[in-house]
Amino acid sequence: MVTVEEIEHVSKLMKIDVDDHSEYLEKVQTMISYFDILDSAGVESEEISMPEIPIEQLRNDEYIPFDEKLIEKMNHYKGTYVRAPKM
Amino acid sequence: MNLKISALEFIEEVKTGNITVEEFTAKTIERINQIDDKLHAFLSVNDNALDQARNIDKKIKSGEKVGDCFGMPISIKDNMCIKDTKTTCASKMLENFVAPYDATVISKLKKQDAIFIGKVNMDEFAMGLTTEFSAFGPSKNPWNIEHVPGGSSGGSAVSVSSYECIASLGSDTGGSVRNPASFCSTVGYKPTYGLISRYGLISYANSIEQIGPLTRTVKDTAFMLNLIAGVDPNDNTTVNNNNEDYLKNIDSGIEGKKIGIITETIGDGIDPEVMTATKEAISKLEGLGAICEEVSLEMVKYSVAAYYTITATEAGSNLARYDNLRYGYEMPVEGYEFNSYISKARKNFGPEVTRRMIIGGFVPSAGHAGKYFLKAMKVKSKLTKEINEAFKKFDLLIAPTVPILPFKIGEKIDDPVSLFLVDINTVTANLTGKPAISIPFKIVNGLPIGIQLMANSMNDKMLLQAAHALEKTVTLPEIPI
Amino acid sequence: MTKIGLEIHCQLTNLESKLFCSCKANYREFEPNENICPVCAGMPGSLPRLNQEAVKKATMIAMALNCSTPEKIAFFRKNYFYPDLPKNFQITQLNIYGDTSVGGSGTISVGDKKIRITRIQLEEDPGRLIYEGSSSKNQITLVDYNRAGTPLVEIVTEPDFETPKEVRDFLNILSDLLKNLGVADPSLEGAMRADANVSTRGGNKVEIKNIGSFHDLEKAAHFEITRQESLHDRDIPIAQETRHWDDRRKITVSSRSKEEDMDYRYFLEGDIPWVKINPEIRTELKSEMPESISSKKERYVTKYNIPEQVADVLSSDKYYSDMFEKSHTESNAKEVANIITTELMGLEDTREKREASKLTATHLRDLADSIQTGKVSRNSSKNALHEILKTGKSVSQIISDLDLGNVSDESELLKIIDKIISDESEAVEQAKSNPQTINYLVGKVMQATKGKADPTSTLNLLKKQIGI
Repeated sequence: MVTVEEIEHVSKLMKIDVDDHSEYLEKVQTMISYFDILDSAGVESEEISMPEIPIEQLRNDEYIPFDEKLIEKMNHYKGTYVRAPKM
Repeated sequence: MNLKISALEFIEEVKTGNITVEEFTAKTIERINQIDDKLHAFLSVNDNALDQARNIDKKIKSGEKVGDCFGMPISIKDNMCIKDTKTTCASKMLENFVAPYDATVISKLKKQDAIFIGKVNMDEFAMGLTTEFSAFGPSKNPWNIEHVPGGSSGGSAVSVSSYECIASLGSDTGGSVRNPASFCSTVGYKPTYGLISRYGLISYANSIEQIGPLTRTVKDTAFMLNLIAGVDPNDNTTVNNNNEDYLKNIDSGIEGKKIGIITETIGDGIDPEVMTATKEAISKLEGLGAICEEVSLEMVKYSVAAYYTITATEAGSNLARYDNLRYGYEMPVEGYEFNSYISKARKNFGPEVTRRMIIGGFVPSAGHAGKYFLKAMKVKSKLTKEINEAFKKFDLLIAPTVPILPFKIGEKIDDPVSLFLVDINTVTANLTGKPAISIPFKIVNGLPIGIQLMANSMNDKMLLQAAHALEKTVTLPEIPI
Repeated sequence: MTKIGLEIHCQLTNLESKLFCSCKANYREFEPNENICPVCAGMPGSLPRLNQEAVKKATMIAMALNCSTPEKIAFFRKNYFYPDLPKNFQITQLNIYGDTSVGGSGTISVGDKKIRITRIQLEEDPGRLIYEGSSSKNQITLVDYNRAGTPLVEIVTEPDFETPKEVRDFLNILSDLLKNLGVADPSLEGAMRADANVSTRGGNKVEIKNIGSFHDLEKAAHFEITRQESLHDRDIPIAQETRHWDDRRKITVSSRSKEEDMDYRYFLEGDIPWVKINPEIRTELKSEMPESISSKKERYVTKYNIPEQVADVLSSDKYYSDMFEKSHTESNAKEVANIITTELMGLEDTREKREASKLTATHLRDLADSIQTGKVSRNSSKNALHEILKTGKSVSQIISDLDLGNVSDESELLKIIDKIISDESEAVEQAKSNPQTINYLVGKVMQATKGKADPTSTLNLLKKQIGI
């Protein structure tokens, strides 16, 4: 069971202001409860698998500059910086 | 002028001079202006389309080499980057985002002289099954505008089925191409994972999603695949398909092929009309010489829970970059401190995306990862093992694309689990990386039903041959719009 | 009992491109945000492209530190929000599904102590933050992504260090090792950073971050040990926490950011498949690795009879050991080594001086030969060296130009000696009674010959002439 406090904690972690946590609580609770079905899947001993690539197929170490001034296409400040709020 | 032609027919008409690209493009834009107010497939239309069309006509006239698409109008789901074009993912969060580069699939189609007629609607950040979660309003099913067109590539399916364009590119994470294709009666394709480059596709769940075409015919899909598949140095997850020609020998048929009917997809929860249609499809396939037999994939029961756990986790991470500092929408940083700024800025995510982020923060978190995320990954592994076993015995697997008929707008929007379960027949292909296609099969009470075929990894060619064979047995009524 | 463990971050500055894109690895010469692309700026839809050479170099580092190297390596996401992190997650390595980082456990010798390496991982550097504005009210944070995506190798050690000095010695050895491998230039600003964890008398472990240089690391460790010891003495328990090094006040300060509350939600990076490094590649890498410092040192001592001290200094310095290899012959190796370590290193003590120097391997060889054959005295050779660095003229040219040639011709020398003996009769008498004082006369001869007389011959001839 997920509590309102846990949802508050997670929304802080995910950096999203949620005005009314209980509004989300019900739907999130329902969704997460549905995931409890995973407990009966009997998969404890399974290994996690991933696709593979041989090292020879990785990118060559070459300097190729991007063909544009990317900073001009982003929000910029004083010409070439990105501005962040104060820490 | 007839807009109701396939891509290959269009190319033939242009090549033989029966139509010009400019005429067809003008007619297409007229059609969009006529009906899109009702359907809302498009988020933006290309103002330069006619100029581009004229240029292609000029090239044809002067005998210059023209790309394989010959000016074919294609709509693009609004989560793929077209350089210097707004790419919003149907979200207020990216309202002002103009992509600084082309996605690989876009550059490939540009080189082949395709015309991108517009960007089409979707569920916000591809999270949804009905396009009702778009921040800019839902799209409507052209077969019955009170019903959902499916999602998340709803705009893609609507634009193709209502003749607003010849083909579309969508993205499929758990059925997001196949589901709307089925609901709108078009062909929808999800290739083997890694067959089509994701560079320039704005990520939702990067370990399982693929770009896929939506077209009027299976041959059209094979044609598109020829243009956009293949290894891409910009995407480390792409695989080498040795320049396979998917159109060649597409008429081979399915004599002697063994097809497994997935038991878990024809049991509880299936609409009787869908059940009937599925049985009919199986008969047709047997009539073509295939051998059909039931097969059980036990893990399908857990696939939806595993799917939503994994995708929420990946989405939570993939969407973390939207902090509105470099791109996004207008919100100055003055007066804020870092945490308060981004927490406020990210309020511009819609409610469904917010819910998924919360879940995505919860299920892989330190105290809960073992119970949820890791278990989900293990279900994914076991499901993959099961389906690989099945493919030792069977060439193809069949199921109805969606267990239910297209439902009414607003019907499931407040019932998350019921909505999740609409995906139950489609998520398996994503979790296991296998190719899958939905072909339009039947219209019942004015609503479309699609049938899904799956093949083993890298057997996309054979899958298209089987889909084409089944498609040939089907005749469908005209769309009433 | 004091225990110190280290987490060292080393940029692979000798690579051409970043870890996941083709922007330049060495970002230092660019204007802000001039060295970026959609990948390292975290643009929507961008994907990482792993650098093959980075994986190879990191594997070599692991081998050089005697670490195990797995057949398959994997990458993970470490999720947290910070303005210098373009994707708000860092692609890094972990060992939660078996050994998947580029290096597993290994060891390195520091003096006669063995320090255990826990693991080596490959990861990307974040961007840089610049703060403008005088007060906290008008402070502006500016972000420069030029550095974002630079390849980093993180080396984690067990808490095997017991004193700050051991830490310093280790860092020097590691620096030399990395330079010797040709993977990085640790002297570049910001190229090597380290965090430390310190525990004393069995108490809690305290992490110290934000240490700007190796110099500061020793200071920080020293401060922290002292701080903890004083708490122990007053029976106050040590809190398990993260502290940061305040460079201005030279103290460690408790971090208000609760690192302990941080949940990084680690999971596999889906955009990068597991990388297979098969045994053939690893064998190839091992054979391509430059000779290790310890092996060089042994060779210098046993093959060329170079004294241990000299061999130590020479082998640890890649630039000069390379020069040594190019300039020496079988017969003059010891002399070349001597010139390099006693004279040359002192003259070329900065990068600028080394780059401006006109000295070549031929010069060194000729100079060493000239000393050995007595053509020029060791004293004069110092002047010759100065000239060589400045002008690059040949050794023989310089010897004649500056008239540095040894006066070893006996008759000439005798003439000078006889004159000194007649001039310095008092000193000669002294020398007869106290032979030690003959050095004064030797000095006089050296003066008269402007240092060009061979000291040994001078001494012998003087003794003969005086009759002692």
